[in-house]
Amino acid sequence: MGQQASPHAATPRIVAISPDDGSAIDLRNPALAAFLSWCVPGLGQIYQGRTHKGRLFMGAILATFLAGIWLGGGRVVYASWKPGEIRWPFVCQAGVGLAALPAVLQAAQLNGPARQPFLASSFMAPPLSSGQYVSRAYADRLVRRDPDIKPDDFFDKPPLRQFRADQLSMWNHRLGHFFEIGTLYTMLAGMLNVLVIYDAWAGPLGTPTEEDRRALKEAGATKAGDRTS
Amino acid sequence: MIPIPLFSALLPIATTLAAPVFASLAGKVPGIYFGLPLVALASLIFAATHHEDPAEINYATVHWTVWLGGILGLVLAVVLLLGWMV
Repeated sequence: MGQQASPHAATPRIVAISPDDGSAIDLRNPALAAFLSWCVPGLGQIYQGRTHKGRLFMGAILATFLAGIWLGGGRVVYASWKPGEIRWPFVCQAGVGLAALPAVLQAAQLNGPARQPFLASSFMAPPLSSGQYVSRAYADRLVRRDPDIKPDDFFDKPPLRQFRADQLSMWNHRLGHFFEIGTLYTMLAGMLNVLVIYDAWAGPLGTPTEEDRRALKEAGATKAGDRTS
Repeated sequence: MIPIPLFSALLPIATTLAAPVFASLAGKVPGIYFGLPLVALASLIFAATHHEDPAEINYATVHWTVWLGGILGLVLAVVLLLGWMV
């Protein structure tokens, strides 16, 4: 990871070495930087003063995440932990941090006593499955806003309504392969943010230079020589 | 690593030669264009996490895009060939 500065310094700094020019990169508080980069991609780098990289990561990863949401009709980022309906791609999407957090809150609200997401909004809400109970307000909102859902798709079970269709199938039918493409974009944004988080925690990974390769080769040759002698 | 001037000369030539092949493949594989931004993104993030200097990041991004795109293109060509043979 980073290297400790001189033991005579009043406050030890954690620094990394730039692989390009050998200059020191002050990592400040690496754990905090890594957490900030998880919350908002690139924010940890900006906290460390590496503004260009921070803005680059922020722009690239958030743009990809938003592009994925747009391609997927706003339906591809949701959390579901119901047996048989676990949304595994969300594990990767969660790598983007706070941008994916509403999905967890919406799922908790829909599956909890409220039986509806926050403000009865379907943004990042999980799809309704057959037999699922929801509030009347949410059922009415879905019938009003979603062209695929009809009033007949609900049984009236006062004070709730019971959904009798499968919303995930409706989404896949309406979006076609864009559901997968949107999912892929958002998953990739989340997974690549893991590299960004590591960069904030430990500095650039660097690539071995010719000098490093030569040194490794010589070290290997020396070891082989020691074994045979 | 290929020296910068030679790399700059080879890239447009390779792209021109590959364009008709890619166009033909794109027609056979719906949605292939959606993969290109992801290749660029992965190359950019990989390059930016291995370098600190903006110029080095830019160069490494192009380098990795060509490599990643080339390898994936090769895999795609093999898969299409196998599909054609079956």
